[in-house]
Amino acid sequence: MSFDFDDMLAKIKARQWALADIDWDAPGADLIEPELHAKLKPFMADLMWIENVGARGFAAMAQKAPTETLSEIYRYFHAEEQRHANAELALMRRWGMLDGDEIPEPNINVKLVIDFLDKYADGMSLSFLGTVIPMLEVALDGALIKFITDEITDPVAQEAFKKINADESRHLATDYAVMELLGHSTARKLFIDLVGGWIKPSLLIGVLSYVPLLNKMRDNVVEMGVDEERLYAAMRRFKAVGERNPIANRVPMYRIVKMHAGWVINRDHPYHLLADALVKITARVPDRFLGPQPTWSKELTYEPVA
Amino acid sequence: MSATRPLDVAIIGAGFAGIGTAIRLRQKGITDFVIFERGTEVGGTWRDNTYPGAACDIPSRLYSYSFAPNPDWSHTYSGSQEILDYIESMVGEFGLRGRIRFGHNVSGLVFDQADGLWDIALEGRETVRARTVVLASGPLSNAGFPRIPGIEDYQGHKIHSARWDHDYDFTGKRVAVVGTGASAVQIVPELVRQAAAVKVFQRTPGWVLPRLNRPTSPRTMQIYRQLPITQSIARQGWFWGHESVALGVVWNTPLTRVVESVAKLHLRTQVRDPWLRRQLTPGFRAGCKRLLMTSDYYPALQRDNCTLVTWPIARLSEHGIRTAEGIEHRFDCIVFATGFDVSKTGSPIPVTGRDGRVLADEWNKGAYAYKSVAVAGYPNMFLTFGPNSGPGHNSALVYMEAQIDYLTDAIGMILHQNLRTLEVRRDKQDRYNERLQQRLTATTWNSGCRSWYLTEDGFNATMFPGFGTQYVRQLAAVDTDDYLLTPADTESVIGTGDHAVAPFG
Repeated sequence: MSFDFDDMLAKIKARQWALADIDWDAPGADLIEPELHAKLKPFMADLMWIENVGARGFAAMAQKAPTETLSEIYRYFHAEEQRHANAELALMRRWGMLDGDEIPEPNINVKLVIDFLDKYADGMSLSFLGTVIPMLEVALDGALIKFITDEITDPVAQEAFKKINADESRHLATDYAVMELLGHSTARKLFIDLVGGWIKPSLLIGVLSYVPLLNKMRDNVVEMGVDEERLYAAMRRFKAVGERNPIANRVPMYRIVKMHAGWVINRDHPYHLLADALVKITARVPDRFLGPQPTWSKELTYEPVA
Repeated sequence: MSATRPLDVAIIGAGFAGIGTAIRLRQKGITDFVIFERGTEVGGTWRDNTYPGAACDIPSRLYSYSFAPNPDWSHTYSGSQEILDYIESMVGEFGLRGRIRFGHNVSGLVFDQADGLWDIALEGRETVRARTVVLASGPLSNAGFPRIPGIEDYQGHKIHSARWDHDYDFTGKRVAVVGTGASAVQIVPELVRQAAAVKVFQRTPGWVLPRLNRPTSPRTMQIYRQLPITQSIARQGWFWGHESVALGVVWNTPLTRVVESVAKLHLRTQVRDPWLRRQLTPGFRAGCKRLLMTSDYYPALQRDNCTLVTWPIARLSEHGIRTAEGIEHRFDCIVFATGFDVSKTGSPIPVTGRDGRVLADEWNKGAYAYKSVAVAGYPNMFLTFGPNSGPGHNSALVYMEAQIDYLTDAIGMILHQNLRTLEVRRDKQDRYNERLQQRLTATTWNSGCRSWYLTEDGFNATMFPGFGTQYVRQLAAVDTDDYLLTPADTESVIGTGDHAVAPFG
């Protein structure tokens, strides 16, 4: 194992930044065209909520980490994802997308994932969390954030996303190293992890939340006028990890997530009949079927100072 | 004090251990002793820790000396002032005040091989010589600020729990409490009553057990006063109750799960929000870090003016604390309830022993001693609360009393047999520590969490891996086979062991 987790933790600690480091009132907020402005609001809200979901995923991983160093790294990642969400909220505020102290409501698919994570994430194994979370991160980092940095000329947004990207690159490097770490497990442990994970009924709920979320994200990307190829290119990068690193490829859950990524990026695959149907069905799930929003999802703030 | 005639015993520190040592010396007929105290009052840790809510989490009946019983403890668990009053009452009762040299800060100890005496350097004063030294400075004597980047940048008010600023008025203030250990859980309930807003910064949550603190009825006090045996029985009851807890707290056993279940039930009944409960649930086995005893902490955390912050601290800034979720939390005052610089890898006072050896150098990878009271190479010097003498489940005072009895016996031996030196044998010390460290591997403290019990390298230099009974028994008598004895006025060695060598050779 060539990856030095202690070194990574030191790097993470040394490269912390705060919302107060950015001048949110600096000029440039008006550089967004009105047409883009209208579409950007739901997009940013989704992005911000997905960061928040990622944060919860890392919180679960902190409890599963095999070493104290990795656990601490995940505690930082948990906080950093929250920081990204806070920064994105601050950008929405800067662009006049928030009404007073309003925090935008998550869409139904995000709500379903929040509900699922709140109930089951802590009970999932590292091999499950450690393969699904990187997949979501790659999709986010590769598509949504890239779209913003390409399309939005506001210098403050550029500055914020440069910092977010730097954090994300450390997250991905660690994610891949952990997949490799998982790949070093014995075949027996990998098998037990896989079977043990899939026989849980909670996983079905997870799949039923995760599948429409990805397709919903794709819909949103298309809605924004972005070529969905960007999302697919990002997911191909996730697939490429296993080709570069045969050890990571040993993790059965990685292979499953990778296979799923392959279906997602193939629009002709029959999988989309199910996934698109789930997007439609979940859109009709009444709020009363979901529990109250957990308190962790209410910690978002655009205020740099508290 | 005569400049020419050395003292029989020099005691360093007028805390619980120093005062207890003086009492037992006097009871054993050794009267030529002096206590050097850097402060202006007695009490040590209890004199320094006067933060609001400061109290002991061991029942007072047990957190007191059996040779100085106190029938008047007002509650099951006493507050710091009552404990301090008890220490002061012992000073008065045993006529020790005249033996305490206040404002005498010991800056170094050097062993003079030629004379077999210790030179005690005092800050700004003439050096004093003594035949024997009791290092009763204690492991919890120096307040420790955490290593957080930018700690000097913060311009607001800073308070350490062990150096409380009683002049600071918290009314209407925004306050941060850094740390969630034994001091913090006592401070937070008091602060939320006064301050406008309190944010508690937690790194890792501890296991919290309820603390049932009942007032002692006047009738009970009267019984204790008139029939001292009843007090002694009550003390024994508490002792054996705590001893049984060792089975779940010192070692990982099914009973550890029972302790955890009690703590989880306590959490569940006091905290409704599942996320807050999750944040307050420890990720390590009960006992690995010090168990917390409080019934007030969780309710305080849920008050409207209190928030638990679990984001990692990135740095301190001019106005407050920046956490990793990118927010700067601003405060009028930061309270550091971050414990002490525990002497795990060095001695609190520079000590130079036989042949110029320096204790801090020998301990730089982790402190060690023989039965926690003596160190090879440092003749006629004894420690109270030395390495590996910490209990995780019982009263430190029970352990301390055993140390005091042992070292005062050893001192008696030096004085009555007119020995020049009494020095523990290196081989005995090594064998003792080898066994001790081996036994520690099976304990909860060495089960993988980070705590103040361990050095950075994970070496356990603080805890004793066993029952209090075992600890007390091992100190029941000074076994001369374990020591090298040198009579006064001779270079010869009295030693029965195979490895007996001339200590000045």
